Amino acid sequence: MSSKAGPAPGEAHEPDIAADLVRRIAAGDPAAEAALIERYSRGLLYLLRRLGAPPELAEDFHQETFRIALERLRRRGLDEPASLAAFLHGTARNLVSAERRKTARRRTEADPEGLELAVDGAPRPLDTVLLDEEANIARRLIGELASDRDRQVLLRFYVAGEDRASICADLGLDSLHFSRVLFRARQRFQELHRRFERRQPARTAAWTV
Amino acid sequence: MDHAYVEEHEIVDRYVMGTLPAAESEPFEHHYLSCPECLDRLALAEAEQRAFKRLARQEAEKLAAARQLALVAWLARLGRSRQAAVLAMALLVAVLLPWGLAVRRIGQGERELARAGAALEQERQQERQRAAAGSRKAAEAALEASRRELAAERQARAAAAAELARAREPQSNVPILFLNAERDAAPAGAPTVRLRLPRAPGWIVLALEIDPPHQPSYRATLRDAAGRQLWRGAGLRLDERDSLSLTLPSTLLKPGDHTLAVEGLAPGAKPVAAGRFAFRVLPPA
Repeated sequence: MSSKAGPAPGEAHEPDIAADLVRRIAAGDPAAEAALIERYSRGLLYLLRRLGAPPELAEDFHQETFRIALERLRRRGLDEPASLAAFLHGTARNLVSAERRKTARRRTEADPEGLELAVDGAPRPLDTVLLDEEANIARRLIGELASDRDRQVLLRFYVAGEDRASICADLGLDSLHFSRVLFRARQRFQELHRRFERRQPARTAAWTV
Repeated sequence: MDHAYVEEHEIVDRYVMGTLPAAESEPFEHHYLSCPECLDRLALAEAEQRAFKRLARQEAEKLAAARQLALVAWLARLGRSRQAAVLAMALLVAVLLPWGLAVRRIGQGERELARAGAALEQERQQERQRAAAGSRKAAEAALEASRRELAAERQARAAAAAELARAREPQSNVPILFLNAERDAAPAGAPTVRLRLPRAPGWIVLALEIDPPHQPSYRATLRDAAGRQLWRGAGLRLDERDSLSLTLPSTLLKPGDHTLAVEGLAPGAKPVAAGRFAFRVLPPA
């Protein structure tokens, strides 16, 4: 993962890009509208999932967010064009909140349509295979570690959710060693995960971003 | 928010774990909306977390299953009667457990009672020690008082020994007072016989003329002007001249009038007045 402090050479800042898109959409440029959707689509879908949008409604919210945003940009633009991301973020959050309120009212009003929309929380069979394979990758990764302390780092960080400071304090590690263990584990995990993905047929997995 | 900050502060991992505060998560969300690099990083972080948690769950399930299998395998190896006994024991434990818990609570109560008893006994012992300490203090005070009395006694003895030593030495110019009995029962006026006390303590001799009939023995009582008894001597006998002489320490007398009453004593008879003698003591010159 890159850790450069600013945009790559030749790439403009996000605020500049956003302001340019807003200006062009207000001017009636259809290419700018397509560019907006292309730029923010993947991130918006991920955000909607993180905000708690039901999976079956995420695509609807995705489309609704862009519809609202484009209508606004065509008509009057934004007071702060550089804050386009914040505008999209706020719109998506409002849609999810509204749905949540509607769902809460449905629970008390015995809405049959709501029952049909209810989702079974158990993972689908295909997903179970993928999840098990991920666990196998983690098992292999743990097995490849020479030091029990490094295994402790990964298990406590990923499974127990402990923070860096408490792990380092308990295991007598310095921050640099902790970062090194995590970085190497992450690289190895990514490598094994990519190998696994290359072996798999194309799929519509809900777990990828 | 730039990638250096995201990396340094583990923003991605913390966001995925849900431990990133709102003040940091919202700006990060604004950022990743248009950042493919961060979205890739988020996907990887979610996969890592899912993988490790699933691994931990699988291992825990394996361990639980292994324990169950071990228990079933052990049971299977037992004979029928023993299997029944084990199951009966399990049932008994299930039934007795509440009772056992009650017993445990009673036991806890008894232990608490024992602890309270021990604390009370300790308190009593401390009280006895305090009382003993008090008695010791009283004894020490009494001992100290005895020591002081002994010291005073020794001083008095030393003074007496010194006085006796002086008395044993030959003395000169010892005052001798010749006294005749008063003829009147209530004599008027001051005593005519006068005695000047010596400057240094010494002896004084009182020579008393005793009229007949004489008695086998006599008793003499010395009083001061206020009538206080200063001395009484009994078993006194007359000398060959039918006189009675008394040698008194001068410290017994104080300036002022004194009387000496003499009584004759006969066996089986009441005392008989043998004379009253008066004299005036003068202070040392």
